[in-house]
Amino acid sequence: MAVTETPPETVDAASAAATSPTPTQPTGLAAVLGSGDHKVIGRLYIVSALVLGLVVVGLGEAFALEGIAPKTLDIFPSDSVFQLFTLARVGSIFFLALPLTIGVAMVVVPLQVGSRTIAFPRAAAASYWGWLLGSGLLIGSYAMNGGPLGGSSEGVNLWIASMGLLVLSVLVAAVSLATTVIALRPAGLFLSRAPLFAWSVLVAALMWLLTLPVLFGLIVLMYVDHRHGAGSYLGAPTALYPSIQWLFRNPQIYVIAIPVLGFFGDVLQTVSGARMKLRGVAQAAIAAFGLLSFGAFLVAPSEAALDSILVIGMGLLAVVPLLALAAACADVFRTGSFKLRAGVLYAISAFLILLLAVIAGAVGSIPEVLDAPRSGSLSDNIFFLGVSHAAVLAAVIAGLGAVHWWATKVGRTPANEKLGMLAPLVLLIGSALTVIPDLVAGITGDELQRNADWTGGYAGTNAAAAAGIALVALGVLIAVVSLLPLLKRHDDAPADPWDGLTLEWLAPSPPPLDNFVGDLPAVTSAEPLLDLREES
Amino acid sequence: MATAALALPPAAPPARPRVLLVGTALAVAGTLMAFAGLIGVYLAQRHGVLAQGGVWLPEGTKLPLTPGTIGMATMLLSGVTIWWAVDAVGRNDRPSAYLALGITIMFGLAVINSTTFLYTQMGLAVNTRTGLLIYTITGAHLAMIVAGLVYAVVMTFRTLGGEYHGRDREGLVAAALFWYATIAVYAVIWYAIYVTK
Repeated sequence: MAVTETPPETVDAASAAATSPTPTQPTGLAAVLGSGDHKVIGRLYIVSALVLGLVVVGLGEAFALEGIAPKTLDIFPSDSVFQLFTLARVGSIFFLALPLTIGVAMVVVPLQVGSRTIAFPRAAAASYWGWLLGSGLLIGSYAMNGGPLGGSSEGVNLWIASMGLLVLSVLVAAVSLATTVIALRPAGLFLSRAPLFAWSVLVAALMWLLTLPVLFGLIVLMYVDHRHGAGSYLGAPTALYPSIQWLFRNPQIYVIAIPVLGFFGDVLQTVSGARMKLRGVAQAAIAAFGLLSFGAFLVAPSEAALDSILVIGMGLLAVVPLLALAAACADVFRTGSFKLRAGVLYAISAFLILLLAVIAGAVGSIPEVLDAPRSGSLSDNIFFLGVSHAAVLAAVIAGLGAVHWWATKVGRTPANEKLGMLAPLVLLIGSALTVIPDLVAGITGDELQRNADWTGGYAGTNAAAAAGIALVALGVLIAVVSLLPLLKRHDDAPADPWDGLTLEWLAPSPPPLDNFVGDLPAVTSAEPLLDLREES
Repeated sequence: MATAALALPPAAPPARPRVLLVGTALAVAGTLMAFAGLIGVYLAQRHGVLAQGGVWLPEGTKLPLTPGTIGMATMLLSGVTIWWAVDAVGRNDRPSAYLALGITIMFGLAVINSTTFLYTQMGLAVNTRTGLLIYTITGAHLAMIVAGLVYAVVMTFRTLGGEYHGRDREGLVAAALFWYATIAVYAVIWYAIYVTK
């Protein structure tokens, strides 16, 4: 008798869910422009990031090509080369890596934590539209000869304002995502049982909230100085880029790649089909990596700050969480089985490139290692350009992999698995070819040269980097082609194509407006679907 | 039958999601970090100028302590009144809650008034590095006060509409949390800018 009794509040909740009217799905343009559905917002983020990412990858390729023969291959006009370089750098984070990560997180995280909605859905929608507007205005500011070293005062104002809008939009998205994980989990799904991807998004969102507001404060100072003040301090066109360079160096650059770790852990555990005995270690590793990516204290740094024990220690220690996570994930295969999937290849590729970034960051943190001047200006050494590229590429590979892995939740049909297996391999080789030449050039004494004949690195290594970026572009293209089936209508797409372990695989594919049909099962472990299978 | 019931019991919904409170706490954390960055830049710049034997406040400008101190005292009082509002709603004492929220809003407006009065007294140009930093930091704090007031007003109207009561006062607690952060930031500004100059 006792086992069939249900607590009264559970009965109330169940009957309330059964009798409450099902929300109707908006159609047409309203379904896109006016939607607060986290899946629609996430899809918009993903598609927009991939489109704008083309600009970033194209610029990167052009810079690498010009570096092969700076005198003869004069691709960029000498008066705008530095501006376009800053567009490529800012764009790599704010046009590509961050929005792609946010887009995937918007779709997946509420499903993973068993929520029927994202927290603050209208704010989440506002974050997308704000980000899109900010991106457009940022590109427009460069077209007006604005941006760092820009000649147009209005263009510089617009650049600063659009940067502020971009940062604010990311912060709003971070609040929305973090609140979803903290406050909208069902009973029984404690944080210690949260899926690793959701956990990593929580850690990442918290780190964004603790570091990007510092950038926002700087942007306000820049704007007031340039618009209303003398324009001789932070608002000076020459000071804009140096003021935000801390974003592109380790440890801060790692904040964009924190969800890579969650994706890696989630995919490997799912294909193993086993419980993760070292889940606590994995979660602690992700949290530790998040803490070690706090770089806001490097605002206005000096040479002494860069060579401080804190920066060196953070750089060296950042390797440890990655190794700990790898060990925790490897441990699941002692009890589970390994199945080769495209998602696995994406996860391993992203993890390896992030490991390369973190090891390189650790090496670069040691003052005696780099011959090229550090100048107290953070990224002047091409070595740190390589570290930054590696972190961004890891985030992009993981983002594309996540879209592939959760294809039936993001889109309507599973992605093409064969092409999906090819894309991460091409991306892995391309990323390594892009990053390693910069690391080699930096470690042997070369540096970035901001002159008319833009260069950095050596002709030979730049040729390898150009080939690497071309491969990255090809890899992205293959990944996008493999994702095209997501657009096709498919009436019986599988809800759980991978024998998943976490709640998102209970949702139909594609998920309805309120995500789940009927009541969710009681969560009693970190692998609720495995519990269900074992019980049945 | 009993086994089936055991296998698929529906999950209970979250007891109290507290979405608004959690979201506000996160927004407060971000806001505090923005001010930490701004005030950190201010202190670093001032330290650099003074270490080289320079003068931080330009010739002919003054930074009187009185308006800032009155603002600080007013902010502290507003901290009492907003908690009074939260407590009153907790006791379902609506008239006291409306009165407390009204006084809090009045205190916020008084601080805006005292700060703008201070601006007229300083004689500090925004095109100096000192002026740029002081106006930006105190101006950003004025924006934070306005945001806190809007938040408090919205929560007042929600309380008037009967949304919050003795068993659920989440919105008011969230507004109070934001307001306490506003007070904390003002306290740092008061000491770092007005007192130590």
